[in-house]
Amino acid sequence: MNEFTGIVSGFSVCCMLQLLIGIPVAAGLLLFLVPEKYLNAKGIAALLVNLAVFCLALRLFFSSGLMSAGDGNAISGCIRISAGAVASDASRYIIFGIDNLSRLIVAAAGFFAFIISLYSLVYNKINKVRNFNSWFLITVGCSFGALLSDNLLLFLTFWGILGITLYMLIPGRNEESSAAAKKTLILIGASDSIMIIGIALLWWLTGSLSMNSISVPTDNTPGALAFLTLLAGSFTKAGAFPFHTWVPDYTKDAPASSSSLLPASLDKLLGIYLLARLTRDMFILSQWLTFLLLLTGVITITGAVMMALIQHNYKKLLGYHAVSQVGYMILGFGLGSPIGIAAGLFHMINHAIYKSGLFLAAGSIEKQTGKEDIDDLGGLSGAMPVTFAATLVFSMSISGVPPFNGFASKWMIYQGIIDFGNGPGFVNQLWIVWLGLAVLGSALTLASFIKLTGGIFLSRRKQEFSGIREVPALMWIPMAVLALLCITFGVLATNLIVPKLFTPVSGDFVFTGFWDSTFVSILVLISILLGIVIYLVSGLKRFRREDSFIGGERIQDQAAYPTPEYYKTISEMDFPAWMYDKAGKKWFDIYDLSRRFVLWLSRQFSLAHDGVLSGYALWVFAGLIILLLVMI
Amino acid sequence: MNPLIPLFVMIPLAGAFLIMITGRFAVWFGRYLTTLILTVLAAFSIFSLAVTGENTAVYKVGGWEPLNGIPIGIHMVMDGFSVIVLCIINIVGVLAALYSIPYIKRYTSENYYYSLFCLMIGGMNGVVLSGDIFNIFVFLEVSAISSYALVAFGVEKNELEASFKYQVLGALASFLILLGIALIYWKTKTLNIADIREVFSTGYDRTYYLFVQILLLGGFGLKAAMIPFHAWLPDAHSSAPSPISAMLSGVFIKAVGIYVIIRLFFNMFIVTENISILITVMGTLSMAVGVFLAIGQWDIKRLLAYHSISQMGYVILSTGIGMILIARGKSPEIAALAIAGGLFHLVNHAAFKGLLFFNAGAIEYSTGTRDLQEMGGLAGSMPATHATSFIASMSISGIPPFNGFFSKLIIIIAAIMAGFYLLAALAVVVSIITLASFLKFQRYAFYNKPENKDDKKNKEVPLPMVFSMVIMGILCILLSLLAFPGIRETILEPAINILTDPLKYSSLITGS
Repeated sequence: MNEFTGIVSGFSVCCMLQLLIGIPVAAGLLLFLVPEKYLNAKGIAALLVNLAVFCLALRLFFSSGLMSAGDGNAISGCIRISAGAVASDASRYIIFGIDNLSRLIVAAAGFFAFIISLYSLVYNKINKVRNFNSWFLITVGCSFGALLSDNLLLFLTFWGILGITLYMLIPGRNEESSAAAKKTLILIGASDSIMIIGIALLWWLTGSLSMNSISVPTDNTPGALAFLTLLAGSFTKAGAFPFHTWVPDYTKDAPASSSSLLPASLDKLLGIYLLARLTRDMFILSQWLTFLLLLTGVITITGAVMMALIQHNYKKLLGYHAVSQVGYMILGFGLGSPIGIAAGLFHMINHAIYKSGLFLAAGSIEKQTGKEDIDDLGGLSGAMPVTFAATLVFSMSISGVPPFNGFASKWMIYQGIIDFGNGPGFVNQLWIVWLGLAVLGSALTLASFIKLTGGIFLSRRKQEFSGIREVPALMWIPMAVLALLCITFGVLATNLIVPKLFTPVSGDFVFTGFWDSTFVSILVLISILLGIVIYLVSGLKRFRREDSFIGGERIQDQAAYPTPEYYKTISEMDFPAWMYDKAGKKWFDIYDLSRRFVLWLSRQFSLAHDGVLSGYALWVFAGLIILLLVMI
Repeated sequence: MNPLIPLFVMIPLAGAFLIMITGRFAVWFGRYLTTLILTVLAAFSIFSLAVTGENTAVYKVGGWEPLNGIPIGIHMVMDGFSVIVLCIINIVGVLAALYSIPYIKRYTSENYYYSLFCLMIGGMNGVVLSGDIFNIFVFLEVSAISSYALVAFGVEKNELEASFKYQVLGALASFLILLGIALIYWKTKTLNIADIREVFSTGYDRTYYLFVQILLLGGFGLKAAMIPFHAWLPDAHSSAPSPISAMLSGVFIKAVGIYVIIRLFFNMFIVTENISILITVMGTLSMAVGVFLAIGQWDIKRLLAYHSISQMGYVILSTGIGMILIARGKSPEIAALAIAGGLFHLVNHAAFKGLLFFNAGAIEYSTGTRDLQEMGGLAGSMPATHATSFIASMSISGIPPFNGFFSKLIIIIAAIMAGFYLLAALAVVVSIITLASFLKFQRYAFYNKPENKDDKKNKEVPLPMVFSMVIMGILCILLSLLAFPGIRETILEPAINILTDPLKYSSLITGS
């Protein structure tokens, strides 16, 4: 299963990899020296660096000639420091490599970094995070570092730095946001520490730290343990159950540019990248681990989307969806078949596109209105047409409406699950469960996004929003670009996108069901056109116009009917009511559970420390006596 | 032969007396003389680190050569291990002295402070350089008694109470140590560490030997604040003036506690499996219990003090694993890795814990409180303190790219390689709780409330304090380079060799 296709030792690629990591980190460190009052200059500098890095990443992506030059698994130390013996020893650890998988994700990461830094040029003026641009660039550089490292220790170092930047990209000036920042770094840092165990176990099992050369079976305890500890790192970064709880808290309080950079795009890319490495290259999955992966996948999908349904804060709602969508990617990789892997990767890229777009839209709305609750908003479609159109596209994509990109990747995942059902194991026999829950999750996603777009953009505009305008061009252009990408990726899915981008990583596969995305899109377009024609030709224009009413009564301005109220029913049903109750008490929050336990234990120990000297002296003697008794 | 060896003790002792005399006439004298002395010593220690390597140097006080291979007179030994601890003492010392200049102006009788400070440094240098066990005791008392006085320097109710507890338990430790030394002297008729080993290696009474080992482990364990001998530490370390807290937590417990334990149990006693297991268990207990005690604290300095117990637990645990492997006589390279992890963490802890106490002092200096619940939003008004304390917090919590990450990484990897899976898992859990409690510190001190830039009350501390903190912060980052192969070999390897190969140590002194 070890298919690092085309690892290179050529100088030019090596040089490119170093630049890719070095430029943003160095630029980020330099920007610390520039005072905060030159915010514009810092923003532009960061944008230029991101553009340069994006170009470099693209060049790396398209230089397939260079890729094939490598001979199979040959990999060499890519860093050359002329410092004699010291460096030659260090080069055992500092090893970078690139293959089709990392090439794809690097290009995607470069793209998102560029788009989001374009957006934050204007946006950052209202939402000040100290040294935003520096931390942004360090994040980008370290993400590349993590994606390109071959040595596991080097990988872990870059991976860990990303936790710090995540912490630094949230301002923390009030109780809620500082609590969210703390929780985030504790969870991320904890998973990094846990990963050390996995890496040490791998080292002990194989004697190697190179991702490229490891292939460990998981039917024995150390192998399975190593897999699970590394999986914890991947799940925490990507935000999957049960380590997901930082995502909604973080997105609720962080500025939109931070949310769309890390939890929405780069953290997903990285977490899923690690998952791909684990399942594709480093481990051979046993039946039980496959079962575990698929189970967490469907729990993540349905649990998080249920939580999203009852949210009133739109940024938190998006946060829950950022968790829920990860479930689909996990399903894809859990299947392990080429179509599953391709679908998982495709969904990862799609998700990054529409979710970062949604966070940017959320940021725009917040900037223009200053409101964070869906209940307080409404009727903004006329005032902010581009944001509305983009949000509509993103919403339909994430809900899996054809012909947008979310549908394409979800369709591939369903195909993969159905294929998977032909296998012999007990996990395969349960295919209908996986499929049913995945589809259910998709339906609930649609429901929750109707609430989001309906609540914010439709219904009546409130008096206080009469002066609202569209955001500046620098802010809507990134959203428009992302929305267009959603459509392109959806329409051209089967003809261009999947064969060109994803099959090189996953290997070839055939679709069992017939589906040609372009053909379907044309059908959709034709039917819309037909509708318009019918509307224009038949005299449907002559209808009665009435003011909006509800329950037979005219709507008064005061009598608001916030869209989220319609979703109250769900929280009154038996099982969901129980679940929401427990979720409210934080039963599913691993962070809160362990916090309570640790503090309880801390109190028990503190009770013993009463400050009485004679007691302390007694301990000393008791300790000595115990030592003597034990030893002699 | 390094001519600087006796100067490490002489200069600070002479300085201490000079300050007492001249300080009566000129208050500024002690302030600058202490900084000067420490700068010179720090330069000496760095120089010694550079030249020592594998070349152990012995200074025979009074020129008394060994007679028939039996050492007579006092030996001062500088090898790869002691030179590392010397560097810690003197470098943290110079930064603490610099930091004290503005900080200690709030107290009266500054010259007493500087004089005691020099005495403490001289004592610790003596402990680390001394080649015989009785001189270790003498210098230990020199530094310990000056530290009792320094803890009580604020002469308020809390300080005096803390100092009293510290003295009582410290005296208990001294008693145990002295008893142990007396018992050794009775059996072996010698006090020289290398010579004692020679005598022991010809045969010994097992029970007697174990009894002495436990007495010494108890005594130095008290000094190193290993659980269950830790109870004095939180009071003493949190009541002292902050530069002294930094010295006590960052340096003192290592120089007179951990250093001596490691030195004696590797180089004086023959490593046996049961005592190594005992040491590992004590290390594990300290590591685990200390962190649970720490996370519930709201007083910054108490929180930091409890973390010292926990972090020293890591050091003891890791060297203990090394000892177990040596005693079992298998996989020496993993034993070396474990010891390297322990030593590396020892060095790192000096940097980040010293820095954290400096930060706590700066916050106290500026806001007048040590209670986390009363502060908040300092990120804007105290940028240097914020940045450096963030670096230190991430270091102690083991987040890359700071030094603590690499030492914990080595410790955990060594534990797994040696087959101690549960200890590795426990080390990870403790590391996570450490992270949690330092993020609590960060949150309540620097975030959590809106910042007020024009706050007249909470402003950044004076330049010497900022300077010390920034240098420490840079050290926290640079020390991670020690993890890299190449650099690790040149600095940590000599220390590991001297510990794992006892012949190397004894042959230098006995001349055989």
